[in-house]
Amino acid sequence: MDYSKKIQEIASKLFADNKINYFVGYKQNSFDDSQVPFLITDPAEIPKLVFTDRSVFNLANYLKPDHTKRKRVGLVVKGCDSRALNLMLTESQVKRENIYIIGICCEGVLNEKGEKAQNCVECVMPDPVVYDEMIGSPTGKREYTINADIRELATKALEERADYFESIFENCIRCNACRHSCPLCYCAKCCIDQETSTLYHGANTSSGAMHALMTWSLHLAGRCVDCRNCEKACPSHLPLHLLHKQNESVIYENFQQHLAGMEKDDRGAFYKYSLSDPDDFIL
Amino acid sequence: METEVKETQGKIFSAENPGITAPTDWQPVIMGILCNWCSYAGSDLTGTSRIQYPPNIRIIRVPCSSRVDPWFIIKSLQTTADGVLISGCHPGDCHYISGNYYARRRFLVTKKLLNFIGYHENRIQFSWVSAAEGPKFAKVVAKVTEDIKKLGPLHRYKKENF
Amino acid sequence: MARVGVFVCFCGANIAGVIDVPAVVQEAKKIKEVKISIEYKYLCSDPGQQIIREAIVQNRLTSVVVAACSPRMHEKTFRKALLDAGMNPYLLEIANIREHSSWVHQKDKKAATEKASDLIRMAVAKSIANEQLHEISVPVTKRALVIGGGIAGIQAALDIADARIPVTLVEKSPSIGGRMAQLDETFPTLDCSQCILTPKMVDVASHPYIELIPYSEVIELQGYVGNYKAKIKKKASYVDFSSCTGCGACTQKCPVKVPNEFNMNIDKRKAIYTPFPQAVPNKPVIDAEHCTMLLKGKCGICAKVCEKGSINFKMVDEVIEREIGAVVIATGYDLWDPKPYEEYGVGRYKDIITSLEFERMVSASGPTNGVPVRPSDGKVPKNVVFIKCIGSRDEAKGIEYCSKICCMYTAKHAILLHHKVPDSHAYIFYMDIRAAGKGYEEFVKRAQVETAATYLRGRVSKIYKKGDKLMVRGEDAQIGQVVEVEADLVVLATAVIAPKDNPALARLLGVSYDKYGYISEAHPKLRPVETAKAGIFLAGCTQAPKDIPDTVAQASACAAKVCGLFAGDTMKKDPMISTINNEFCSGCLNCIKVCPYQAIVTEEIPLGHGSKEIRTVAKINEGVCQGCGSCVAICRSMAISLAGFTDPQIINEIVAI
Repeated sequence: MDYSKKIQEIASKLFADNKINYFVGYKQNSFDDSQVPFLITDPAEIPKLVFTDRSVFNLANYLKPDHTKRKRVGLVVKGCDSRALNLMLTESQVKRENIYIIGICCEGVLNEKGEKAQNCVECVMPDPVVYDEMIGSPTGKREYTINADIRELATKALEERADYFESIFENCIRCNACRHSCPLCYCAKCCIDQETSTLYHGANTSSGAMHALMTWSLHLAGRCVDCRNCEKACPSHLPLHLLHKQNESVIYENFQQHLAGMEKDDRGAFYKYSLSDPDDFIL
Repeated sequence: METEVKETQGKIFSAENPGITAPTDWQPVIMGILCNWCSYAGSDLTGTSRIQYPPNIRIIRVPCSSRVDPWFIIKSLQTTADGVLISGCHPGDCHYISGNYYARRRFLVTKKLLNFIGYHENRIQFSWVSAAEGPKFAKVVAKVTEDIKKLGPLHRYKKENF
Repeated sequence: MARVGVFVCFCGANIAGVIDVPAVVQEAKKIKEVKISIEYKYLCSDPGQQIIREAIVQNRLTSVVVAACSPRMHEKTFRKALLDAGMNPYLLEIANIREHSSWVHQKDKKAATEKASDLIRMAVAKSIANEQLHEISVPVTKRALVIGGGIAGIQAALDIADARIPVTLVEKSPSIGGRMAQLDETFPTLDCSQCILTPKMVDVASHPYIELIPYSEVIELQGYVGNYKAKIKKKASYVDFSSCTGCGACTQKCPVKVPNEFNMNIDKRKAIYTPFPQAVPNKPVIDAEHCTMLLKGKCGICAKVCEKGSINFKMVDEVIEREIGAVVIATGYDLWDPKPYEEYGVGRYKDIITSLEFERMVSASGPTNGVPVRPSDGKVPKNVVFIKCIGSRDEAKGIEYCSKICCMYTAKHAILLHHKVPDSHAYIFYMDIRAAGKGYEEFVKRAQVETAATYLRGRVSKIYKKGDKLMVRGEDAQIGQVVEVEADLVVLATAVIAPKDNPALARLLGVSYDKYGYISEAHPKLRPVETAKAGIFLAGCTQAPKDIPDTVAQASACAAKVCGLFAGDTMKKDPMISTINNEFCSGCLNCIKVCPYQAIVTEEIPLGHGSKEIRTVAKINEGVCQGCGSCVAICRSMAISLAGFTDPQIINEIVAI
């Protein structure tokens, strides 16, 4: 999967037609084979744009906050990224007419070890769900599978799970990089980085981190698209996807197979209901 | 607005570390969050009918079960409570038309998530109690109290621990 | 620094008999914000409230905690005490130590006392975060919408209009009058139904404050108490009511004959028809399902004979809007279909009819000119068997409740039968005679004495045909024998049920309904004419089976409620509603999605200070918001707060114990 040439062509055309003010893509890192997000306003930099299976970040994050209200942006998205973008559109965070979306039919990206990333192995929608121009050939929606880590943890004893998660929360330094890297955490004043966070969630201990991360993951429940920007951003390398995938699996199994951002105008599982939602857990 | 939080007085819980066994006269604290129109009225009816139930529940009144943000549950478990009981109107009876349907979705996901990170599922319980179900409220409280007594005191993530 | 006063009530022995009140008072004194903590025998009494008022002034309290009964009981009383002491009434918190402690932990006094102390700690902690709130006044549109033009709707409309409040009366069928118009004579006085109803119907049509919209339905209701907006669909009648004189030429000439539902399908009406001669308005409508002109484009005789040219085959449904302040639901009732009674041969034997069919037959203006006849051969019946509780009180086949009116109208039918066919004999199978009401028992006695009707206590097990007679086999439980009665005609007193459209209407109006489809009242005893939604009231059988006097009484009660609501130019509204801090609002607008009252709208504000760019945020319409808090819990940026139940208040409560 190397669409660098194609993207460069499109970007040049967009700049030439004066359709965009800036373009968001990927650039090769200078010291290893990883890539970094790359924002350009000068067409001269177009040759640096790349797209390969190392293009891991979700670039929808660079549309927040309010950038598209004034500027027109060209943007490269993969399947999962486009789902996040879909939600941002529904939640009125970006203006559709101000973004030019280059959707990639993604074949999966690699993790640091050079293997296919877990979220790509389990990907349900590799094709872009919203785009102006599509690159590659769509392969269609795939069957949903419950995350392997979740399945494994579910078999463990409660205490073991509790210890495991406490060790995770202990290592959280409350830097909020997870929240800042998430395209859907666009709130100007997020609950976990407001000055009141200590009041709400508690100080920076395993307990406070537990509360903050729980609240944060519940705010993303039914909205998270499993792009794993948060995990990549986490300096403590916490497996944050566990929380999101757990919520996603519960929501998928119980609420009409809901998956975030798959459809236009879908706001997420918590903003609608069905009369037939499970009731048996309630006394 | 004054947002000062008082030090928890830790009447039942001292600043114990996990692993220390509970005193024999230990009694759990259950945070009961009830909607005003059905469950709170139902709990009042339990009172007026003089139906007896275990004294472990501490009741907070909210207008609707949909007012219950999941962090109420987490906050309770993190500070004062060994278990949480949230109760609202039966489906279809919500005073605010649809509040309990939204709440029901959040409750399921919250319960499963808390269970996933290591809370026993019986520590987070939900019920539908109508304004006419005084006896049911007593039964629910008795059941929840019994369940939580079996689980013992909750130490993990308790704020007193730091 | 907060200065909290704690007042603990003995409530006689109700609280003090279980809880050690002095200990609780001492415990409360240990809370650092508590400046005064005292006990009193009955705080809700005048001297009790005086103590609170004095303490507020003397101690310059910033909030007050009353530990007593449930806030649902005396919150208003104590708020008033605060107000009288010059304090904002919303600085009150109540610790419910009676319903939630002393009454439910009577055997464990120590635990009850501890719990009471905890509840007080929680209330004190919450009260510290309480804010001053002020009642909101909302303008009121002084116009009532009455849905249903039966006797309930007519009475409600007339009473409201007499108070010079405009009323819009919406009736589904072409004429008002409802079920009562179908009745012949009414119990317990046997005065003619038409004679007492039609003057009221005419009053409705001519009343300057009543706008009558027949042949129409309410299709949408938006807004909130005092400020509703209703959409009403006027069904196409194909007759221009403004020019039609109601001469009736069209109905005479119309060649299409259709079963007449007003006469329980006993005879036929035309495809262009007025439901009955005294109809109000007395204008015909075209039944689009049967008119050959509308179906096939052939005929048009009515248009030819109409001198005024009032017939318009191109007429379409029209939707009109009305701004209203209150709604009265008066949709009446339907009758249960007795088909499940297969052992009676319902549907197989023509001579088994329902009570309303019998009622139409004995009506002087009815299809048989007031003489009951057998549908099979048109002969006048001599032996008539009446069977009560068909569907009522029958969990197996019908419904569980008692339909309330059948005992009385069956007695009436016995008398009417006796009047119309003097040599006839009535047999009445009954389960119980329920004749509670003014003059009711006497009326049943009169029926029994005057007509010598045979009252047989027991259920009918089977009806079979023998020659042209129907053999009714049942039990006479009083003699413990099976009896058989040879009948010419069998009349079934079918159960009263809720109109089948009630649930859909209830959902549209946003009110609740019970498992039978009846609209639910706000409180079965203390608020029987109000629904749980403010400004929507209910009258008559839309709530439960009722007789005419009860229906009229309830309709007048509705009118009183509506007049009360409209007494001032503005309404006071509880200030415990949501507010949005638009600085925090991220503009995702998910709150609009979950709000059950459409109380959230969008607002455009500058992007930053002095910025020309705008951003869209959510805004609460405070007149509409009911304060449920759905939006608060889903707001991720915590931009919304619900007055009286703010996040800091609830945190304080949670961490207080």
